[in-house]
Amino acid sequence: MNEKIETSGIKGTEESQAGMSKGHVLDLKLPIGWLLSAYGLLLGIYGLVTKKEMYEKSLGFNVNLGWGVLMLVVGGAFLLAAFLKRNKKT
Amino acid sequence: MVPVITLNAVDYAIIAGYILVMILVGYSLKKYMKTGEDFFLSGRSLPGWITGLAFLSANLGALEVIGMVANSAKYGIATVHFYWVGAIPAMVFLGIFMMPFYYGSRVRTVPEYLKLRYNEATRGLNAISFAVMTVLMSGISLYAMAILFEKLLNWPFHVSIVFAAAVVLLYVVWGGLSSSIYNEVIQFFLIWLGLLPIVFLGLKEVGGFAGFVAKLKEPMLHSIKYLGTSQNPLGVGWFGVVMGLGFVLSFGYWTTDFLVVQRALASKNINSARMTPIIASFPKMLVPIIVVIPGLVALAVLPQFSGTSGALPRYDDTLILLMKHYLPNGMLGLAITALLASFMSGMAGNVTAFTTVWTYDIYGAYLRRNKSDAHYVKVGKWATVIGILVSIGTAYIVLSFNNLMDYMQLIFSFFNAPLFATFLLGMFWRGATGWGGFFGLLIGILTAASHYVLYKVGALHYGSQMAANFYGAWWAWLAAFIVTIGVSLFTAKRNPEELRGLVFGLTPRIKASARWFARPAVWGTLAIALAILLNILFW
Repeated sequence: MNEKIETSGIKGTEESQAGMSKGHVLDLKLPIGWLLSAYGLLLGIYGLVTKKEMYEKSLGFNVNLGWGVLMLVVGGAFLLAAFLKRNKKT
Repeated sequence: MVPVITLNAVDYAIIAGYILVMILVGYSLKKYMKTGEDFFLSGRSLPGWITGLAFLSANLGALEVIGMVANSAKYGIATVHFYWVGAIPAMVFLGIFMMPFYYGSRVRTVPEYLKLRYNEATRGLNAISFAVMTVLMSGISLYAMAILFEKLLNWPFHVSIVFAAAVVLLYVVWGGLSSSIYNEVIQFFLIWLGLLPIVFLGLKEVGGFAGFVAKLKEPMLHSIKYLGTSQNPLGVGWFGVVMGLGFVLSFGYWTTDFLVVQRALASKNINSARMTPIIASFPKMLVPIIVVIPGLVALAVLPQFSGTSGALPRYDDTLILLMKHYLPNGMLGLAITALLASFMSGMAGNVTAFTTVWTYDIYGAYLRRNKSDAHYVKVGKWATVIGILVSIGTAYIVLSFNNLMDYMQLIFSFFNAPLFATFLLGMFWRGATGWGGFFGLLIGILTAASHYVLYKVGALHYGSQMAANFYGAWWAWLAAFIVTIGVSLFTAKRNPEELRGLVFGLTPRIKASARWFARPAVWGTLAIALAILLNILFW
């Protein structure tokens, strides 16, 4: 089927297709996990050290603390999933 | 100038963290971008969940989010039509029926399919118009971002432009399509995390849906009930919404726009490619949560919308006003980062689409043919630089000629609507010939443009600009459809051998997987069923 596909004059595609190029090289769960966990930690701690007046606009909820904890949990779940996948491979 | 919002160190830390991650992701991909297939197509190796989320995120840019929140403040719940009628069916159709030809033919771009299926003229028409429009869109994204952050945060316009362009340039030159896709997936999570707090707080303050019913006029709370009446908030009736938005505009965009299709082509196998838009359709159904609810909340809660201040509110400011109203520093930084992420990944998506079409369909087809793969990779990287520079230039042009932004979406639809007819006939009717495709597309585009001009000079009358757009798309599609068939009947047919893999009837059927949960048809049907259910619930 490779021969039939005209590749507008570009050589080398047969080789690259045979050479199994690996485009997917990053386990995306890792950067997502780290980023969300870092955000969760930052917001959570910030939520703990700030005063209550700041949260009048958010209807009294300490959203920094609450959402921070949520993000830490979600980030942690991604990291756990990445870790488990890595262990399953080895 | 007093900024609307003031950010503190914590907010900036959040923004900086994201910029750092984007650059690191790009950098980590640098050494893997060896061949053209790596750089432009992610090696055709990505799993369905990544291509699916990227497919959705490529479309869920900041302009879309801000624009849809504005729409929901203006039109109420009817805005959901842009999602439940105007997206889901097209996405499912693409996955189940069109992907086998797109992915199975191993074409690398949308114009390349047109070259193989129709002829060089059709490819050229599409490639050149798409390349120009997409790089302009990138500039418009850049402009919109810089203007917004200048007004909102006092970030100097020129600094925002150069900084954002530099970051996108870095990670796209290093990591190609993969960089763009990975960052889009990260953007997906940030958008939800950044905007959901507004939804929760808003619903709490309004008092849930009962609160909406108490505070808002009834036509704003129904998506279908008032479509046929004089109180219709959209100003467009049944036919316009279903055939104009739901069929032509929606299918024209989702099935032919290379920006989104490119993500599916990066999948690791045909099944993932087919599942890509279907996987994307499920979160797409939920997007109204973060764009429609805030608009309604703004109407119910913000003083600017209650009508007492006298002046007509600027709808585009809706989301920003809500952020200022509810979010303390910290969460504010997260929401701003979510918007920044969407702007930048939108720009990156446009640049990678431009670069790929330029390299393969313009440079490689008309300027320098038969060069080595490595040569084209280098061309691709340089095209990225040029594309970014043109985007910056465009951003400054838009600064002087503001109307360009409004026209861009309109112009896209002039091209997408007829292109859908070209693809529909090309993929499902063996008899469509090369010149049929070209003239159909050309006449379709001209029809769309003329229709718009006639409306603007008053020769055609519609209930609203939106109605004019929907009907214009419908007529353009119909014109392209009829002309393609007509011209095809009188011009030379293609050799069926050459069309193998490109059209229904000349392509081996894909064997359905024995496991029901791996079949695109199953999930696609579920998506359609859910969309219908949602339409009924919020009618």
